[in-house]
Amino acid sequence: MTFTTPLLAAVVAAVAIPTLLILYFLKLRRKPMEVSTTLLWKKAIMDIQANAPFQKLRRNILLILQLIALAVLIAALAQPRTDRTAALGERVVIMLDRSASMAATDGDPGRDGLTRLEAAQRRAIEQVEALREPGLFSRTGAGTADQAMVIAFDQSAEIIQPFTADKRALVDAIRSVRPTDAPTSIEEAYALARAQRPRLLLTEEQADLLEDDPSVAPRMPTLVYHLFSDGRIPDADILMSETDELTAPEFVYHAVGDPGSHNIGIVALRAERAFDDPARLSVFVGIENTRPTERRVDVELLVEGTPASVRAVTVPGADPPSPGVTFGAPGAGGVVFELREPRGVEVRVRLAGLTGQPDNVLESDDEGILIVPPARRSSLGLVTGGNLFLTEALRGLPLGRFETISPQEYESLREQGGLGRFDVIVLDRYLPRAAEGERVLDPGRYMSFGVVPPPPQGVEDLGESGSGAIIDWRRNHPVLRSLTLDGVVLGRARPARIPDDSGVISLAETAEGPAIIEISDGTVRALSVLFDPGQSSWPFQVSFVVYLASAVEYLTTGAGQAGGIGSRQITPGGVLADFVPQGADRVRVVPPQGPALDLEPGPDGRVVYGPIRHRGIYRLEWSGPPGEADIAEGSRYTRFYAANLLDGHESDTRAAEELGLSDRIVQARRDEGRGLMELWPWAVLLALGIMMLEWWVYNRRVTL
Amino acid sequence: MLKSANPTRPTTIDELLDARLVARLSQLDLSSRKIFAGKLKGERRSKKRGESVEFADHRPYALGDDLRHIDWNIYGRLDRLFMKMFLEEEDLSLHIVIDASASGDTGEPNKFYYMQQVAMSMAYIGLVNLNRVAVTALGTRDTAVAPMGDQGIAGTIRDLRGRRRTQDIARFLCSLTPEGTTDFGRAAKRIAMTRRGKGIMLVLSDFFMKEGYETGLRLLSGRGYDVFALQILSPQEVEPEIAGDLRLVDIEDQDHAEVTISAPLLKKYKQNLSAYCEDLRTFCARREITALTIRTDTPIDTLILDYMRKRGLLR
Repeated sequence: MTFTTPLLAAVVAAVAIPTLLILYFLKLRRKPMEVSTTLLWKKAIMDIQANAPFQKLRRNILLILQLIALAVLIAALAQPRTDRTAALGERVVIMLDRSASMAATDGDPGRDGLTRLEAAQRRAIEQVEALREPGLFSRTGAGTADQAMVIAFDQSAEIIQPFTADKRALVDAIRSVRPTDAPTSIEEAYALARAQRPRLLLTEEQADLLEDDPSVAPRMPTLVYHLFSDGRIPDADILMSETDELTAPEFVYHAVGDPGSHNIGIVALRAERAFDDPARLSVFVGIENTRPTERRVDVELLVEGTPASVRAVTVPGADPPSPGVTFGAPGAGGVVFELREPRGVEVRVRLAGLTGQPDNVLESDDEGILIVPPARRSSLGLVTGGNLFLTEALRGLPLGRFETISPQEYESLREQGGLGRFDVIVLDRYLPRAAEGERVLDPGRYMSFGVVPPPPQGVEDLGESGSGAIIDWRRNHPVLRSLTLDGVVLGRARPARIPDDSGVISLAETAEGPAIIEISDGTVRALSVLFDPGQSSWPFQVSFVVYLASAVEYLTTGAGQAGGIGSRQITPGGVLADFVPQGADRVRVVPPQGPALDLEPGPDGRVVYGPIRHRGIYRLEWSGPPGEADIAEGSRYTRFYAANLLDGHESDTRAAEELGLSDRIVQARRDEGRGLMELWPWAVLLALGIMMLEWWVYNRRVTL
Repeated sequence: MLKSANPTRPTTIDELLDARLVARLSQLDLSSRKIFAGKLKGERRSKKRGESVEFADHRPYALGDDLRHIDWNIYGRLDRLFMKMFLEEEDLSLHIVIDASASGDTGEPNKFYYMQQVAMSMAYIGLVNLNRVAVTALGTRDTAVAPMGDQGIAGTIRDLRGRRRTQDIARFLCSLTPEGTTDFGRAAKRIAMTRRGKGIMLVLSDFFMKEGYETGLRLLSGRGYDVFALQILSPQEVEPEIAGDLRLVDIEDQDHAEVTISAPLLKKYKQNLSAYCEDLRTFCARREITALTIRTDTPIDTLILDYMRKRGLLR
């Protein structure tokens, strides 16, 4: 029990109680009443006083009741509250995890179907109820009340309610948080919270004073973070880093969910068309199991909603806990479906027969969707004045179409707008014409050899130099992943400088600078070999052909290509960003939940929608010219995107019992303090009751 | 017990004596356990033989006897003079003593008004039966207002006889207001000294007298008067309906008692009251005084026609 205004109550008690006693004893106001004789009364009084030892007490029962009522009223004046959570901060940051794993249905072990988020909301509301309110007699805004803010986060974070003492607003804010299918990252939430924390603003003089004597520092509200989560936060270790407060803020981790609840879910899903046979579609499914024992699960593959295949998969059990590791790594398994499907299809993968099973608390990871564009072989246009090595090497690739055109033909096609028939244009020692400072590359995919694309798209040409060798390259880049450039000797290197804040990355370097670059500015994606391969040993090495094949595949089917399988995959928590063909209007996106939203494409056709909160199929519609592989629906064109959870952290639903911050390890709090409860209304009610009793006694003394 | 908020102050006989009651009262007469000699030949049978129509005896004529009472028939037969002797019918003195002190001005119905009504009814019965009726009001008064006010007598009216004096009695009773204190002992002494003849004395009071009622009643009960003590209490005195912290002020002497009403106190009060009334009855019984305690919520006719007849005051 704590009192908000004990001093006030003490002062009132010091005045009121003696006053009551003095009034009672010195001047008991008796109602005068004329009677025929006092003879019998006096005799009765004498008899009573002689006979009743407790008469005095009985006579004072009204005084006693009045004293009790007064004491209770004074206690109410002190505003008592139950002290159910010991130390509450004056500035409380409530961080509510709404990520995918919070949809697990083990929020309350005693109740089925209560999700972790609902349990977290319930406890967060209790926390809000526990906030100290401004005293009845204190000035508002005097800093006597606790304030709280509500931040909901998944991969991104938003402030649902800034700092306020208004409990109703806080509770409404907490209730308004809805679960998402996004993964968890607390970094943004922490940054938001830090940005809102109370700050001490000092003049220079004050700062000097403070330096001399730290004890004169004004009292700052204490900051307390309350995290309501299941603890599946991969980046929890950034919390409490960069703390510049004098004392580290308190951090309370309210764990929801059961550390022993298990789940099985799809954590990886990918489709690929064979480069040489695009009709052959491979669907890779990665599954994780958090149960210590192995599980057998049926994986269904549905193409356009029709079951195409079912495969039973045995997923091994999770590793046992080891010292220092609470939860062993989940058991991982997978399956690959091979099918022939040249059409553009929606592929759905589902873990069958898990609904309602106790060891599968999260359902959102039991299904994954892929939007697979139609199979198509790429077409390639080589702009060259004649290059045997390059022409022959490209001709050997499994392409749908391969044309060799001269620079003049290229320029005329460019003017006619006939370049759309090529997926990739290969520029051999030729740069399209452009005015000074203009972009030389039109929107599209390019490979270039022996030229240096100038800024703003490219790099600064530093002129030819002497011979050199490639000394380093990005071995993890999809294009360079499976080749080696060790033995490539350049007859004439072409040093260049990558301008700052450009979209250019260097893939391979000589001692003097970049040798192979990737240009990526949204509309243009290009792989540019700055030196002339004809002046090097490269065409004689296997890596040259491998580079060409990888580059064509990268630009046509991989992440770099619009309409590729990867580009139609979006992750909840991220954004849907894509290009619609220029001239498209009335663009709108239809999410799986909620209303459709009109989008205004940028000048280059770029549309952005997000953040994506839920998994499912998102549909982008527009009127106007279609892009490649877009589906016509009347006069409008549609492009589909699939959002899947596919996150091992979220699928691992074993709630963490401790959270490792940057500076400490915080144990989960589960025995929830139910918060402070205002007791003064009860005290007033009690006092009223006592006063009514006193009034009754006063009127009914004859029976007492 | 409480001072009456709006006590009835009668101004006419109609307010004292209900017309319907009058008819029934006319059939009543006073009765006494003793037969008293009166000054005038009234309608009362006296032990004294005298001149009524009822023959009692003969006696020899003596000089000076009234010749009208000689029995001439016996003279004709015996040639001797005999006097016819009759039972003489004498008047009876009815003396009503009404307590007009301030304590009467309490209760609901008002005690003093009740006493006035009883006194009027009794006086009326006395008058219509040709008894000698006197009314004395008790209560200390200023001598300028009442000549014997300092002796505890607020006023007196006496030697009234016959129906036509009813109005006089009524006027006298209406002129009384309950005030002052009681000095029952002195007043009784005065009454005892000044009363004439013998008869019935009806004392109407609450008998709440701090100096005691014993002396007064003892004085009144002597000299052959048949004394009736009618103790009149208000219902509020019998069953007090008060609560809280009170300062009870004696309406007569302003003496006060500070009380906090509680159940034991009320119980004690009631015990004391019944003991007080019992003491009064015991005291009266010893002196052949008929005592009767009556509440003012008892109808007058019930009191007169029932209680008083049962106790032999009326017949």
